[in-house]
Amino acid sequence: MKERVAITGIGVVSPAGLKKETFWANLKRGDSFIDEITRFDASLYPSRIAGQVHELDHYSHLPSRLVKKIDVFSHMALVASEQALQDAKIDLNNVDKKRVGIFMGNAIGGWLFAETELRDMYIEGREGVSPYMASAWFPAAPQGQITIFYGFKGYSKTVVADKASSALALWYAAKNISEGKNDYVLAGGMEAPITPYALLSSNSCGQLSKNNLNPRKAYKPYDLYRDGFVLGEGSGIVNLEKEEHAQKRGAHIYGFLKGVGFSSDGYHYERYSPNSESFEYAIEECLKDAGWTKKEIDYICLDAEATTFGDYLETQALKNVFGKELKNISLSAPKSMYGNLLGAQTALDLISTLYSMSNNLVFPTINYEMNDPYCDLDYTPNVAKERKINKALLFARGRGGINVVLAVEK
Amino acid sequence: MALKEDVVNAIADILDVKADEIKDSETLYDSIGVDSTEMVELCVSLGKKFGIKIATNEITKSSTPLEIAALVEKKK
Repeated sequence: MKERVAITGIGVVSPAGLKKETFWANLKRGDSFIDEITRFDASLYPSRIAGQVHELDHYSHLPSRLVKKIDVFSHMALVASEQALQDAKIDLNNVDKKRVGIFMGNAIGGWLFAETELRDMYIEGREGVSPYMASAWFPAAPQGQITIFYGFKGYSKTVVADKASSALALWYAAKNISEGKNDYVLAGGMEAPITPYALLSSNSCGQLSKNNLNPRKAYKPYDLYRDGFVLGEGSGIVNLEKEEHAQKRGAHIYGFLKGVGFSSDGYHYERYSPNSESFEYAIEECLKDAGWTKKEIDYICLDAEATTFGDYLETQALKNVFGKELKNISLSAPKSMYGNLLGAQTALDLISTLYSMSNNLVFPTINYEMNDPYCDLDYTPNVAKERKINKALLFARGRGGINVVLAVEK
Repeated sequence: MALKEDVVNAIADILDVKADEIKDSETLYDSIGVDSTEMVELCVSLGKKFGIKIATNEITKSSTPLEIAALVEKKK
């Protein structure tokens, strides 16, 4: 990308906190926010642990008339959007709303609303479902709700690409800003997979940890005894604008989006290709797009699937692309603390990386105890580490090998 | 009169708005800005509340509470 795009506002709703300050402070401590699922009886599910968002209502300023019509994934996105807009100090009375866009990603959609209605229809023999279902469940619903709530009318899109959804949304948003199609874009993702049906679907992929007896220790990427990732729910949304535009209005700039690399494994609808070539191509393309050399990279926020195969492939890709330079690059997966938010994950990775850049601190990968000879890199185990970070990469891999790498700069 | 108040209270309850926001002779759109999905919800829920069937074209965003009360009375 020719121009870098400034990040000037942050909103976060996560199991580790519902404000950026709380989220960052909790990640710094290296605690786990994974627990047994309490929202419904999940006792028969193979994986019944997750990072859950509590007290959303406490942080929400939405009218109850609206809340009853939307799914929780839209609710979380509206809360995160409000935070991002306030943090960016945008005067909504003085912006051209035709020049404000929304680019969001999620993998699942709003199932709590949908499955509740469908269950009642089948079990109770109702004549119909709530009319609100029509606009509550589908993946683009949060995009629509944000645009309606604020009256934004600029070019907007929703991306569905499994765990790479918000990575792609962030990138399309940055491109949109860079090409001058919008003045501001709210970009990121939201995911609410802690519902009976969504949890069932997620379990069927076979990649979730079944360490139900020890939830806080369950998500342990790169550890020899890893058995899969743990689901999380929430939303991460940032405000993007041109660097010059941000400077002109005196906005605080957290960092910049600088480049992207994409690839698809083209191998299987669900599994990754057995070699890491395609993933490596995405990393190389990102470096090329950002105009960076491998030596310049300070930090990589990892995908951290925590499966035997996924972590091995990621480690291989890192070794093959960076070789000897790896010893100078800090690696970590802060998501090990609060769960993997699927389509919203890269937005959260971006938000944690921006803190790392501002505060010279790498958040850790927790629960790393036993070294795996096939995953033998320094993943910043268990304790945060001081480190100056100017240039970082964010890794995202969707099932079936949707590879996206983003370049972020201080 | 009592029926009209019942209708207003029912609308307020169904849509989660305050009853005093709903004006007797103003359209639902003008007084509380209803949208099309809320209109479907209103038809179904008012029907259940008053034990009648209301088709989605019988009350619209342009209906007033007075007109809705008259329709309910006629169907009861």
